[in-house]
Amino acid sequence: MTTKQISIRRYLPERDDAPFWQPFEVPVDDSTSLLDALHHVKESLDSSLSYRWSCRMAICGSCGVMVNGIPKLGCNTFLREYDAEIRIEPLAHFPVRRDLVVDMEIFLEHLAAVKPYLIDDAQQQEATETYRQTPQQLARYRQFSNCINCGLCYSACPQFGLNPEFLGPAALTLAHRYNLDSRDRGKAQRMPELNRHDGVWSCTFVGFCSQVCPKHVDPAAAVNQGKVESAKHTLIALFKG
Amino acid sequence: MTKHHPERRQAYDEPLWWALFSAGGVCFALFVPSAVLFLALLLPAGLLPADALSHQRASSLLFGLPGLIFVGATICLPLFHAAHRIRHGLFDLTLGSDGTNKWLMYGAAALFSTLALGVVLLGMLR
Repeated sequence: MTTKQISIRRYLPERDDAPFWQPFEVPVDDSTSLLDALHHVKESLDSSLSYRWSCRMAICGSCGVMVNGIPKLGCNTFLREYDAEIRIEPLAHFPVRRDLVVDMEIFLEHLAAVKPYLIDDAQQQEATETYRQTPQQLARYRQFSNCINCGLCYSACPQFGLNPEFLGPAALTLAHRYNLDSRDRGKAQRMPELNRHDGVWSCTFVGFCSQVCPKHVDPAAAVNQGKVESAKHTLIALFKG
Repeated sequence: MTKHHPERRQAYDEPLWWALFSAGGVCFALFVPSAVLFLALLLPAGLLPADALSHQRASSLLFGLPGLIFVGATICLPLFHAAHRIRHGLFDLTLGSDGTNKWLMYGAAALFSTLALGVVLLGMLR
């Protein structure tokens, strides 16, 4: 079995205030994922390494890291794709707790702010019947519902890097997803968040969020459709006074 | 998440800048290249009829409704498009404050648009 070198940016606050790079030699074959390599480091080379993971199949969204500066999920990134050096860092734009573990609190706050759940006050009174939805109604929001909250789009977004108060790609996409849902009546509650400078208007349509999304959600499209919605909402509000 | 009151912090101006930016982008992509094609390439190359833009014809076109639309589509809206881009570029480079940059950029775009349209209107009233 051949081996490859990966460099991991370590941060151990109890040992040193500054992060440092540590190289590891890991065994690889064609099926070795980056997450497999991190497991090998943890189990055989240095048990002090910290990183998040859970499902190993790109559905839990836990194992996001920067690979040569690009946000990726460790589990669906394979070392065979890299010929030269492989540099692993914690997700950009988030505070680092230790090693590859970041503090995602602000991301969770932004998610919660847009109320990403079905709001239907009338239905809650007597929830005896199932919601009905046609395939056409499902198709309107389906793509935007595949988000796994991995946070890669926040690491890809230069505007979130400049201004962490920006609601960001995933939260704005989820807001749009529920606004498009025929079962939902919560749009009026979500729009005030989207209409802010830190809502849809901080997006400058860089589009890198859509490139790095492991589930092909296309947040850039959702955010810019959100701008149309916000413009309509603002115009109607101005006429209503 | 309830620290702020989103209702009090609505960005009422942004849809306007974004609409002008979008309209300006379309004009930049369609009308500015068309103007360059006709005025800077086809006309000097002699591919248009000789009197297509004779002084008399050009001034009657410019100082009328077609001229007003032409100036709006090739100068005013592209100015707002450029202003929006420069404003966001300055924010990306963390130069100045966004509030001041907005006044400077959109103010300049509005000033030069007014000047350009004013010249046409003055010519119409002549």
